[in-house]
Amino acid sequence: MTDTALEVENLVKIYRPRRGAPVRALDGMSFAVRRGHIFGLLGPNGAGKTTLLKILTTLLRPTDGRARVMGFDVVAAPLEVRRRVSVVLQESAVEMFLTVRDNLLSFARFHGLRGRPAHERAAAVLARFQLEPEADRKVMDLSGGFRRRVQVAKMFMVDTSVMFLDEFSSGMDPLLKRAVMGYLREEAARGRTIVLTTLVLSEAEELCDDILIINRGRQVARGDLYALKLLSQNLYEVLMTFETLPAGLEAQVAALAPLRLSVHENTLELTLKADEAQVLDLVSALARQGRLLKVEVSGPTLEDIFVELMEAGAAAPRKE
Amino acid sequence: MSAIAAIFYREGKLRFTNLGWMFWDLFYPLGYLLVFSVGINYALGSPFQTLDLDYNAFFLAGVLGMASFGIASNTAWGFFFDRDNGIFYEMLIYPLSRAQFLAGKVLFNLLLAVAQAAIAVSLAAALLRVPIRWDLWPVLVVGVVGGTAGWFFFFAIFALKIRRNDVFNTVMSVFYFLLLFASSMFYPLEPLPVWFRTAALSNPITWQVDWLRFSTIGLGDMTQVMLEGLAFALFSLLAFAYAVRCLQQQE
Repeated sequence: MTDTALEVENLVKIYRPRRGAPVRALDGMSFAVRRGHIFGLLGPNGAGKTTLLKILTTLLRPTDGRARVMGFDVVAAPLEVRRRVSVVLQESAVEMFLTVRDNLLSFARFHGLRGRPAHERAAAVLARFQLEPEADRKVMDLSGGFRRRVQVAKMFMVDTSVMFLDEFSSGMDPLLKRAVMGYLREEAARGRTIVLTTLVLSEAEELCDDILIINRGRQVARGDLYALKLLSQNLYEVLMTFETLPAGLEAQVAALAPLRLSVHENTLELTLKADEAQVLDLVSALARQGRLLKVEVSGPTLEDIFVELMEAGAAAPRKE
Repeated sequence: MSAIAAIFYREGKLRFTNLGWMFWDLFYPLGYLLVFSVGINYALGSPFQTLDLDYNAFFLAGVLGMASFGIASNTAWGFFFDRDNGIFYEMLIYPLSRAQFLAGKVLFNLLLAVAQAAIAVSLAAALLRVPIRWDLWPVLVVGVVGGTAGWFFFFAIFALKIRRNDVFNTVMSVFYFLLLFASSMFYPLEPLPVWFRTAALSNPITWQVDWLRFSTIGLGDMTQVMLEGLAFALFSLLAFAYAVRCLQQQE
């Protein structure tokens, strides 16, 4: 049995609208994802994330190239692929007229789980997602956040080898989001492969052990968080909280042309690209100007890396 | 098979969430027969000078055909509802083929169509004294099941191709108008002008209604009915194949 959950080779997708020029949504993408990993697929809007996800889940046929899920080709054996995946689409996808419980049971039935085992599993999932009080209410009577909760809860009714989650946390309250992230880690530890697309980069930073950043249908960077951080070795985040913000400090820092600068009440936050010694000199100089309550200097976040990579690629011409 | 059973379960669950809707589906052909057919029968009498048949007997097949048509168009309209809920695209990722998806979607509604036909035929015999050919009931079931499925596959093409609900409704209205009235549903074709008769004879609704008329009251030429049945089967197969293709193109 292969250790690879997803294999993508030179994948191309060209949309040909009735009017206007063809759009190359994926431009020769190649990568592989190992089983049991939480794989983050990141990129700005229009980067090709959803197109890639649609191809991997058999919703869309590629123009060229190959993609395999658990060893099955998405074009030649779509049914085998569908037996091995469950998907949370970006859009809300629930049975409005059915109760929460029936949504879970109906979904499970499509994956061959029914009768008593399905009911028992549904009871466990309802409890896990704090949906028990709503179990017998029709989904149409629930708020958008609860509908999203039902949509994500369905994924836990079955044990497919691969889970795809496209912006799974949108509309979800922070407490539940944190819990779901924990459940996803548990599922990965059990050997399920999880493919996550998100614009909330802190989520990816916290969850993913393998990240692919794409833009304009092409790979921009790939690796675990540590490997990606090496791409931005000279990028630093500085946070300083003063008792009272010294006058003229903001202008003084702005003159250094940081990549990001924000001042909120008595706290200054900036991201800058410089040598380690230069950053420490700057912090030391600023600290002498007022009474310092808190200071933090850290390496780049995933968001910093992402922004840097996108800005670096912004000038490149788009292939059509 | 379990995939089709799953979609059958889902369709059944959805239908049972509204018993009023279910009741209407089951009894509306009978209601049509009792209101429209009885009215015509009293006002205008039998369309046949030589046969001992009243309009109620003649129109029974018409209402069964109309009911098939109605169930099929409602089921096809369900694609819009599923799309609005986002569940449509999620279902396309469930472990079932596109052909199973279509077949499963119509399966529960075929049962409904058979139950509807059984109610309409039984009560037409009991209340309106329609002389039913009970020996031909298997032929009737084939007509109801095949007819409903065929129309669903045909309408599914439009529901999958057209993205706007209002445009789909307009197209359905045109089909209702053209197909139902230019057919043998409401009147016998023999007294009609040649151009009208030709149009009606090339209309799949006529093929289905002639089959249903033969299987309910034994009226019609058996050879012609068999040929019309074959033509309808071909129409259904072509519609099914094209609807599967449309479903494969959903992105």
